[in-house]
Amino acid sequence: MADQPDGIVLTRHRDLQGRQWHPWVRRALVCLVALVLLLALLGFVGQSTSTTTTDAAAATLAVNAPSAVRGGLLYQARFTVMAHQELQHATLVLNEGWIEGLTVNTIEPGPVNEASRNGDLALELGHLAAGAKYVLFMDYQVNPTTVGSRTLHLELDDGEQPVASLTRQLRIWP
Amino acid sequence: MDIVLRAALAFAFIFFLTRIVGRRELSSLEPFDLILLIVLGDLVQQGVTQSDYSVTGLILAAGTIAMMQAFVAYLNFRFKRVRVVLDGEPIVLIEDGRVLTRNVHRERLTRHELEEQARLSQIDSLDKVRWAVLETSGAISFIPKN
Repeated sequence: MADQPDGIVLTRHRDLQGRQWHPWVRRALVCLVALVLLLALLGFVGQSTSTTTTDAAAATLAVNAPSAVRGGLLYQARFTVMAHQELQHATLVLNEGWIEGLTVNTIEPGPVNEASRNGDLALELGHLAAGAKYVLFMDYQVNPTTVGSRTLHLELDDGEQPVASLTRQLRIWP
Repeated sequence: MDIVLRAALAFAFIFFLTRIVGRRELSSLEPFDLILLIVLGDLVQQGVTQSDYSVTGLILAAGTIAMMQAFVAYLNFRFKRVRVVLDGEPIVLIEDGRVLTRNVHRERLTRHELEEQARLSQIDSLDKVRWAVLETSGAISFIPKN
């Protein structure tokens, strides 16, 4: 039998004593990475959309948007108002979660008026006749430094009078 | 601050990946591997600097990666147990011309690859190899019989 090279311990480096379990650690870690990828395929880290809807006597309010996004991503939120009754001054009121740490690239169609209402963003849509449907698109980009989970609250008002409201969550991955 | 954290996380994740992927896969740089390396570098850059085009951002990101590399090198030098985790250990593949099948399979190597590596070391037959060791770098060192 040949003498082993310097630095080689035969029991450890040839017979692998004490190293039998190492490949299993490596396999487990590879599986861990694969699991993350699987979760991504299932939409856990964004940005598949979901719709939240609330029905009220005066109107139905719905939002279609991703519930998880990542830093730097472009995405869109679609707000749909179905008026069951006439709304003289339909107004969408978005809490700060809809704006904070996000860049709003555009709002289409442009609201009649924009205002701050107790720190929330009020977008005045104007007059909606009974049976009218109004769809508003907001295009966003996530600021790279924004991370975490937040509650998004949306309210449909007729003037100052609340008509319908809904709440959803947004998770922002780094 | 976030760019330093992102660079540190990118370094740690790439280091982690290189440890679990397997050393042989990383030691060869064939054309496809080279392209993958460039693509990987681009992906990492986007995640680290994102929309930051500043020289300050460059200094922070590059500085963080350099510091992390120096830190890992120090840990390697200073602590033997950490070195085993960070660098791995050599593994004997051939002893006295006999291929140690269990060890070779463990590293997902084939006899064909061993023969190819031996040829690159001017050894025409594995029978003439006294020792072949898969080093922590992923390279295979051959010690021929006298």
